[in-house]
Amino acid sequence: MISSKKIVLLGHFGVGKSSIIRKFVSNVFSCDYKVTIGVHILKKEVILPENNNVSLIIWDLEGTDSLAELNKAYLLGTHSFIYVYDVTRPITFEILRENIESLKTLYPSTLIKTVGNKVDLLSISEREEHQKLIKLDNYLSSAKTGENIEQLFNDIAIKLIQ
Amino acid sequence: MVEDKKLILLKELLLTEDRVLINALNKKIKALESVIEQRKNLSLKVDPIIDVKLQEYTNAIPKTLSPMITESLKNEIQNSRDDVVDALYPIIGKMIKKYIQQEFKILSDRINQQLKQRFSIESLIRIFKSKFMGVNEESLFLQELARTAVQEIFIIEKNSGILKANFSKTETIDKDVLSAMLTAIKSFVEEAFNTGEEHLESIEYGLYNIHIQNFKSFYIAVVLHGVYDSAFKSKLKSKLLVFAENNISNSNHIILSKKLAETFNNDII
Repeated sequence: MISSKKIVLLGHFGVGKSSIIRKFVSNVFSCDYKVTIGVHILKKEVILPENNNVSLIIWDLEGTDSLAELNKAYLLGTHSFIYVYDVTRPITFEILRENIESLKTLYPSTLIKTVGNKVDLLSISEREEHQKLIKLDNYLSSAKTGENIEQLFNDIAIKLIQ
Repeated sequence: MVEDKKLILLKELLLTEDRVLINALNKKIKALESVIEQRKNLSLKVDPIIDVKLQEYTNAIPKTLSPMITESLKNEIQNSRDDVVDALYPIIGKMIKKYIQQEFKILSDRINQQLKQRFSIESLIRIFKSKFMGVNEESLFLQELARTAVQEIFIIEKNSGILKANFSKTETIDKDVLSAMLTAIKSFVEEAFNTGEEHLESIEYGLYNIHIQNFKSFYIAVVLHGVYDSAFKSKLKSKLLVFAENNISNSNHIILSKKLAETFNNDII
């Protein structure tokens, strides 16, 4: 039987949460920015070895400037958070560490992944700086090129069935 | 010899005009033949180009003309609303009339069926119920006729919105997404109105109602068609409580879904 897991994407406005999900679920990318209002839910099954397939129910929350503004009810029962920031806009990662720590405190048993999106807009040196910021087990991604998108969700699915 | 010459001369005299006419006709026929031939040759070369252009034009119609047609239709409807209403009124009226007639026919069939069973056990129970509950028999009778049908049932984890089991008579959108979305709506309402221990208990849309029954770690959403009054609600609540008590410990999605189908397939609550 396929198990279902709830994944929630968080982060500021316009960091590319919806684009990451669209790239992963439908393999499409568009530069048109459509703001998410409330929540948008999508689903995709991740095929894993030995028939351990996982159905990911992905909650795309509207962007907020701080975690306090989020509707807490949407976060309950989450199996994994994906905190997305925009590598080109410092305001979206100024308090990255504080936000991650706060999430860890509030939801200690939930898997948390950090994603620096829009990495296709960075130079090599800038990219290295961001890699240091988010540590090794997190991701620099690009919804435009698809870099690390599949990898991110696959890694989460594997981690969640362990 | 002289006669032969005379004959030739006579022929020439008599047929000169005809010859001129024949020559002129020949010329015209040749000219026409050449035109036809030219058109044939031209057609061989031009037709494929026209076909391609025509195809391109046909393909481009939805893109180029659709917005214009939609816009002009919109304007037309906006500007002559009364005319549109006048045009549509008889059609819609007929449709409604037909629908009402059909519904009355079904109701009439059911009433006839029930009247035939005037002295059946169900009828006697209804009379007894009417006396006992203080509700007139006709109301109970009509209530039975407008029986509520269970369309779908979902057992959903309260926090995560993950579907534990479901039973459905119709094919709708993805059940997992629907469960998550329903949970999001429920969470939003409960959070927005800061209801504390209060929970969203029903959603109404058109002819349908979604009955929501909350338990500790999960809730059950029942999509209903028909009368959703307090008497039915009470019976449904009891039935769901019994179902939860007996079956919810089973975490297997397939077995739980099977149990739901067995319990709610016959619409009798």
